Amino acid sequence: MTTIMNSFKPHEKRIARKIKETTDIFTIEIDMESNSYPGQFYELSILGIGEAPISAASSSSEKLKFTIRSIGHVTSKIFEQDVIGVRGPYGNYWPFKEYDRILAIAGGIGIPPIRALIHELEGKKDLWVIYGARTPSDLVYKYEFDQWRNKANLILTVDRGDESWNGKVGLVTKYIPEIPDLKNMAAFLIGPPIMMENSVKDLLKYGLQPENIFLSLERRMECGFGVCGHCNVGHFYVCEDGPIFRYSEVSNLPELFL
Amino acid sequence: MIYSLNAEEMAQLYERISKEFETYGTVDIEGDLTFSRIESHDELRIGRSDKPPKEFLIGRNENVLVFTEPNKKAVFGVMSCDLKGFYIMDKQIYGKDPFYTARRDNTVFINYVCTEPCETGFCSSFGGPLLNDYQIQVINYENDKYLIYADDAYKSFFEGFKQASKEEISKVEKLMHNFNMKQKKHEVEGIENRIKWNSKLWDEYAKICIQCGACNYSCPTCYCFDLNDVGEERIREWDSCILAGFTKTSAGNPRESLASRLRQRFYHKFVYYKKSKGEYLCTGCNRCTDDCPVDIEIKEVIDHDYNNE
Repeated sequence: MTTIMNSFKPHEKRIARKIKETTDIFTIEIDMESNSYPGQFYELSILGIGEAPISAASSSSEKLKFTIRSIGHVTSKIFEQDVIGVRGPYGNYWPFKEYDRILAIAGGIGIPPIRALIHELEGKKDLWVIYGARTPSDLVYKYEFDQWRNKANLILTVDRGDESWNGKVGLVTKYIPEIPDLKNMAAFLIGPPIMMENSVKDLLKYGLQPENIFLSLERRMECGFGVCGHCNVGHFYVCEDGPIFRYSEVSNLPELFL
Repeated sequence: MIYSLNAEEMAQLYERISKEFETYGTVDIEGDLTFSRIESHDELRIGRSDKPPKEFLIGRNENVLVFTEPNKKAVFGVMSCDLKGFYIMDKQIYGKDPFYTARRDNTVFINYVCTEPCETGFCSSFGGPLLNDYQIQVINYENDKYLIYADDAYKSFFEGFKQASKEEISKVEKLMHNFNMKQKKHEVEGIENRIKWNSKLWDEYAKICIQCGACNYSCPTCYCFDLNDVGEERIREWDSCILAGFTKTSAGNPRESLASRLRQRFYHKFVYYKKSKGEYLCTGCNRCTDDCPVDIEIKEVIDHDYNNE
C-alpha cells in the first residue's frame, strides 16, 4: 500500500527574521531554503485563523522570504508569529529562462516576485524593472535598491511624491517608453488589475507581441493544487495553470482584469 | 464482463462483496431515500437518493489536517446520473485531492441503471443511464433478471455466475434504447458555442435566486469546497459559487454581482469544463432544479435561444 501524502498539511516553520517595510507591509524570512522559482506561491497559515496564498519574494538560492501586506485575517497576524504553516510551492514561474531581455513592471505589493526575479537573474540578463507605488513611503525593499541597480535597470516611480522624494512621479505606464528596443522584449507584469490592463495596452501599442507579455493573476487560491475551485479565470485555474499567464492565451478570457 | 444473475444470486453477490467491503446502500428513512449502512441486499430500496452520494468521496465537513486511510466501502444503489459525476470530477481532482483519491480507490460503487425515465431527469441528453465507465453496473431488466456489467477488477465476485447471453444483452440494449427515445432530448452538444455571456437569463435568475447554494450541494459534479480554521482543525466544507465570498480577494471580487455568479456556475458546467477536460460538468440528473426553491431550470440554460433574446 502506498503512503498518501496529505497535501493539505503544512510544514511548521520558524520565522527567522522579520523586517518592517512600511506601515502595513512586512517581510519575513522562513527558516528553510527556497525551493521555488520567482512567480510561484505558497500557502501560509496560522492554525486557528486560516491560510493565505502568498508569492515567494526569494530567489531559488536564498532562504524563503515573503513580503506581505496586512490586509486579511491571516496576513494581519503573520508578523506576530514565531512559527507559521508553510506548504508549496504552487503554480508556475516567470519564463525567465526563455528570454534574454525582460521588462518587469510591478505595482504596489506586486513587487515580491519581481524582487525574486532580480535576485534569480543576478544581472545575467538585460533586465529592466519599473516599480511603482502610491507614495514614497509605500515603496518596499528600499534597503536593497542599490544592490538591485547592480543587477537590473531600475525605474522607481510614485503616484504622489513628498518632500523627501526627488525621483520619478507618475504611473508605471508613463515610463514604459523610456525602455530601449522595447518591441523585442518580454514583459512580466504584476500588480493591481487596472495597472496590468493599462500596461498591456501600452506594451501592445509599442509593438510588443502578445505572446511575449506575461501576467501574474491573483485569485482566491485556497488549496493551491487545483481542487477547491475558487481561482478560475475562464477554463483555467490560477493555482495550477498560472499564476503566470501568457497574455495571448488569456486575452479573450472574461473576468481577466477584475 | 457481462453477467446474468437472478435475485438469489444478487443476494449471493452482495454477501461476497460484504466480506471485503463495508456495505452501504439506499434505504428508506422516514420517506427519504438515504445512503446508510446495510446488512443485506433486501434492505436496499432502489431509487434516487434524497442527497447525492458525493459525501462518500468529498467530506461535507471534515478536518483536512488529519488524513486517515479510508475503509473499503461498497455502495449499492447509486444511480447512473450520480455515479457519472464521479467519473467527470475525477478529471479535475483525482490524484490531487488525497482524501478524494484514497476514497475513490477504496470504494466500489454498484450503480443501478434506471429502466424507466424519471420525472425530471434528462440523462439521455448525456448518453443515457447505461454507462461506459463503471465498476459494477446492474440492470434489473425483468422481475428476477439482472444483467451486470462488471469491471475485470471485480471478477472474483462473479465466480460461478453465468455470463450473459447475446439475447439478454440485446434485450437490455433495446430497453436502454427505448429509455433514451422516451425521454425528451435537450440539445447539449454545442451549448458551449451557443451560450451567451451577456444573456438576459443571468439577470432574470439573479432577480429570483435566494443564494441558498442548494444547486451546488445537490449536484453530483460540483466539487468546490472552502477551507476554514476552527480551533485546531482546518475544516473543508462544500462551497457554493453562488455565494458572494467565493471569489473575494484583497484585490477585489471578480464576481460582485449575483448574475455573474449564476453565469459562472453554468459556464463552468457547459463551457469551461468542456474546454479544459473535454466533458460537460453535468449528468442530466436535474437535482439542481429539483432542489431549487425558486425553480431556476438548468434545462432552460441548455434549450434557451440565445441568438433571439
